[in-house]
Amino acid sequence: MAILQRSEWYDLARTTNWTPKYVTDSELFPEEMSGARDVPAEKWESYDEPYKVSYAEYVKVQREKDAGAYSVKAALERSQMFEDADPGWLSILKAHYGAIALGEYAAMSAEARMVRFGRAPGMRNMATFGMMDENRHGQIQLYFPHEYCKKDRQFDWAHKAYHTNEWGAIAARHTFDDLFMARSATEIAVMLTFAFETGFTNMQFLGLAADAAEAGDYTFSSLISSIQTDESRHAQIGAPALQILIENGKKEDAQKLVDIAIARAWRIFAVLTGPSMDYYTPLEHRKQSFKEFMQEWIVGQFERSLLDMGLSLPWYWNQMVDEFDYQHHAYHLGIWFWRPTVWWNPAAGMTPECRDWLEEKYPGWNDTFGKCWDVIIDNLLAGRPELTVPETLPIVCNMSQIPICAIPGDRWKVQDHPLDHEGRTYHFNSAIDRWVFQQNPARYRDHMTLVDRFLAGHIQPMNLMGALQYMNLAPGEIGDDAHQYAWVERYRNHPYQRKAA
Amino acid sequence: MALYPLISNFQHDFVLQLLAVDTENTMDEVAAAAAHHSVGRRVAPQPDKVIRVRRQGDTEFFPRDKKLGESGIKPMECVEFIFADH
Repeated sequence: MAILQRSEWYDLARTTNWTPKYVTDSELFPEEMSGARDVPAEKWESYDEPYKVSYAEYVKVQREKDAGAYSVKAALERSQMFEDADPGWLSILKAHYGAIALGEYAAMSAEARMVRFGRAPGMRNMATFGMMDENRHGQIQLYFPHEYCKKDRQFDWAHKAYHTNEWGAIAARHTFDDLFMARSATEIAVMLTFAFETGFTNMQFLGLAADAAEAGDYTFSSLISSIQTDESRHAQIGAPALQILIENGKKEDAQKLVDIAIARAWRIFAVLTGPSMDYYTPLEHRKQSFKEFMQEWIVGQFERSLLDMGLSLPWYWNQMVDEFDYQHHAYHLGIWFWRPTVWWNPAAGMTPECRDWLEEKYPGWNDTFGKCWDVIIDNLLAGRPELTVPETLPIVCNMSQIPICAIPGDRWKVQDHPLDHEGRTYHFNSAIDRWVFQQNPARYRDHMTLVDRFLAGHIQPMNLMGALQYMNLAPGEIGDDAHQYAWVERYRNHPYQRKAA
Repeated sequence: MALYPLISNFQHDFVLQLLAVDTENTMDEVAAAAAHHSVGRRVAPQPDKVIRVRRQGDTEFFPRDKKLGESGIKPMECVEFIFADH
């Protein structure tokens, strides 16, 4: 029997809308779950996914991808990568796995919602493969770090992080719940696949795969490449959905979803990828700064896809681009100073050569962030390590759940962006975070930040030990300087001298 | 006397921090409590200066002997701590 070409049967096979007889259309596709926004079913049928694949093709390709990644892992099992790698690289792995692996399962649930409640047959079809992709990503990103658990307990956080109240895990859960766990199928298509995946994760995975190869970690590089090819396929679910919303008079609504998603994704990206690229990656392996990366991929490329779509840039675009200069430096300083509260060992990235590089990439770094690091270095050299750890909590943003921080030193510019709502004062990192809250206060108002919980007495005893217990950070898991402060010795009797311009 | 949480925004520091003080504390005492978490940790000391207190966005400082409980500052309000000559 002759087998038809995919293009000859695909359109017919995915024509899966029907007229329900036993329930109403709104019972079959409740607005809360489908988010069709009164766009009629026949309009959704014009949804045309740019990437078409059959189940047989999908299984064949996925099998090859899995076989490739697992065989690289098996072949390199006896390599000395773990022993030989710079501790900063291991920190990138730990932070990545903990922040991402279980998030993939959340994304799988979100894809499943599009499979069941998506109004467009093509969206349901694509999301079926997307759902299986995310399941694979969850599994593979748990299996690979599991091998390292016996060598280093912090790798256990690949699975553990999301089950704790560690602050970064709260931030990740809050963001992902907002962007895709607690959204309708249409909103997931726009916020998860278009904004978050096209805009951010696709780039993160591309960048990480290259960094891994550069660092000599070919196992991680092949794993990440394998995931990235899935991402670039299922990230395409969002664009045609956006197109239908725009064509049917829902542009304003679509724009708001995109603006919220980019605002939230940027924070997570800044706290996770910013320190990894500009501080944890050993200097000799850095290809470009985080700012250059953002300018190339987010400003240069994602900006174009937004405009091509007929959307405007988010109202806060210029402010976000300004943040490329400082926000991740502030997050890095915070993570390093509050290092007992993370499940990886932050690399300070603070040798004199690193500072020269930071000054070159971010002119003025030494007069701002460098001033804080000067004090830290003085304390470490003088044998006062107790002054390099905190005795209180940072104030956490009521939207991002990440500490509110900005520019220190000579250009000091740190500010609370408060909002009074129904008798409670909320605190935000920026006008952008506050704007997200204002779009739907009922959605966010009852959440308690870590600081809110502390003040409500949920954290006992009310000190660092109590906080670490609350965050489930056990001895052997608590973060410390990745290089055991060896870099500090570079400054003994040699105060930092700025490189001549 | 009552424990009173504030938000400390300390000049030259990079982050807002939780500050536990008391309504009976004077502004100088509140400033000293805030300095404990910033000065000598991430902010270089300035021994010839005093640290003055003001509300976020204000230009005027509170009198140094003003008690927190009489200042009108609300719990968890963001307060700025600024190095000044006197």
